[in-house]
Amino acid sequence: MKKELILDKNNLSYWLRQIRKKRELIGPLMNGGNDIVFKSVDKIHELVLDCPASLPSPKEFIFPQYEPMLRIRQASNVKYQEITDLSEKTRRVIFGVRSCDISALGLLDRFYLKGHKDSYYAERRRNTLFISIVCKDPDPTCFCIGLGTGPYLEKGFDIQITDLGDRYFVQIGSPEGAKTVKAMSFLFRRPQKTDYEDQYEVFLSSKARFHKRINLKGIRQMILEEKVKDDFWQWVADRCFECGGCVYNCPLCTCFTVTDRAYSEGTERIRLWDACMFKGFTRMAGGILPNEMMVKRTKRWYYHKLIHYPETLGGFGCVGCGRCTITCPGKIDMASIATKLKGLAISEEEK
Amino acid sequence: MKNNLKNNKTNANIYIPLNGKIEEITQLTGDVRLFKIKTETPIDYVPGQFFMLSVWGAGEVPISVASLPEKNGTIELCIRKTGIVTSAIHSLKTGQSIGLRGPYGNGFPIDISKGRDVILVAGGIGIAPLRPLIQQFIKNHRKAGKVTLLYGSRTPDEIIFRDEVEEWEESGIAVALTVDKGNDNWKGNVGLVTGLWPEVRTDFKEAVAYICGPDVMIKAAMRDLFFLGMPDERIITTLEAHMKCGVGKCGHCYIGPQYICTDGPVFSYKEIKEQSILK
Repeated sequence: MKKELILDKNNLSYWLRQIRKKRELIGPLMNGGNDIVFKSVDKIHELVLDCPASLPSPKEFIFPQYEPMLRIRQASNVKYQEITDLSEKTRRVIFGVRSCDISALGLLDRFYLKGHKDSYYAERRRNTLFISIVCKDPDPTCFCIGLGTGPYLEKGFDIQITDLGDRYFVQIGSPEGAKTVKAMSFLFRRPQKTDYEDQYEVFLSSKARFHKRINLKGIRQMILEEKVKDDFWQWVADRCFECGGCVYNCPLCTCFTVTDRAYSEGTERIRLWDACMFKGFTRMAGGILPNEMMVKRTKRWYYHKLIHYPETLGGFGCVGCGRCTITCPGKIDMASIATKLKGLAISEEEK
Repeated sequence: MKNNLKNNKTNANIYIPLNGKIEEITQLTGDVRLFKIKTETPIDYVPGQFFMLSVWGAGEVPISVASLPEKNGTIELCIRKTGIVTSAIHSLKTGQSIGLRGPYGNGFPIDISKGRDVILVAGGIGIAPLRPLIQQFIKNHRKAGKVTLLYGSRTPDEIIFRDEVEEWEESGIAVALTVDKGNDNWKGNVGLVTGLWPEVRTDFKEAVAYICGPDVMIKAAMRDLFFLGMPDERIITTLEAHMKCGVGKCGHCYIGPQYICTDGPVFSYKEIKEQSILK
């Protein structure tokens, strides 16, 4: 089977309807507040494909904000406790995901599946198919272009589609993606020379539309060379509202807390997103707070993403999705910090 | 530091605790108890590793092993009643079941002590992770040279394993105790554990140190040993942090570029300096 195909736009909803017979369809929808959220799709025509970034990122379908882990029932004959694994096994297809979020998945996979395998993540990941869409018109907050994580992908996707006006250019990147296309192969045709040309045109024009050019490598180098002084991090900390918005919206933040909830028939152990921006994040029994100072927490987040992620997982802990820029009330998001540091470096040189 | 035991790479859900049964509870001091837990199949572990103990309804908590692995599958864990989960554990009775996952973490490097003198520095409940090390040194004393234990507690009543300390002394371990605040019956040292260096009859430059205690004590002891001439890579400590998973995923114990649960909890002073772990 060819890895590149053409799908007529009129056939999209039919194709999705067919896929939906086997999987739950998730896609970008507009909610009452004009925000874009990934939700289970009821009416396919309500899908919003030319949309700004969704909040939060679609990571919530493989690493949800609230995830039941285990349930324990106390059997009447006290001897045995019956533990049930509550791993989510629903088969899903997530349609209309951005390239940056797909790139983030690659790193999440490395994080959750290396060493001790996180079975909840693994189970959801295995059951989820992603159909990503090439960003024709990036948001003003986007900067994936400087990181190689967008606006289109060369690899790492299941199925990637490019909007060519009246048709989609469909690329297959994984065996599961191939299976999904093959099942409906009569909907697709082989691409012709003009299709390739049009796709190239979209790639080019998209690349030209970016407002932000951010060089995280340069920032990393500055930090490693100890050019970023403590008073800068103090300035960042002073502007932090400790809302945790950057963490919750980040497609690459992985921290969670585990808590037990008691019900009449037993106890459920659940996990929830947690944020290192919170003071209580590192609180130990007895009330000791290793990271009581805000500056320790903001610095930790940036060091994790810019210094330690590349060392341990082979890529920045940032894919340039711009969600922290949208959400941060203190303007100390990744892009702003990078711009600010670049400015500092230039003024330092001019001295 | 590298893991002494291989990671579990099966497809089983790593978050499901094994069922353990509390065989014996010993009250050690006012708020510290020693729990002897039996598992259905014996679990292999090394000193310095830890288990995630779990009480349903309260949560999970990381606890270092306080014993050497036994053929009959018992594990001893020394627990101070401090927070929600440890209080729940203290309310359990002999015969009740308790969940446990592990062992996790790397464990103490034992090889580096071969043929060398050993200095153990403990503060308060920090004696618990060092206990299996001491037991091991007593068991095969030929491998290590002279073993010295410096142990500081808050008060004489809070000296954990007091009877065992005497036994250890009889087995040839040099012991020096100190308390922050003495009482009428206390004739021993009063003051910080780091004030006990003159008691150590060992060439610091050639020895190995294993340290466990509160953060401030660890920092002070490591710095002192460094100035006494001990090489950084032979100053070993074990750290603690808030943990939720024990397997390097929840992010709570992330410190510097390391996760205390999977890259530690045992670190050498060299690693701590290079990675700026303790600040």
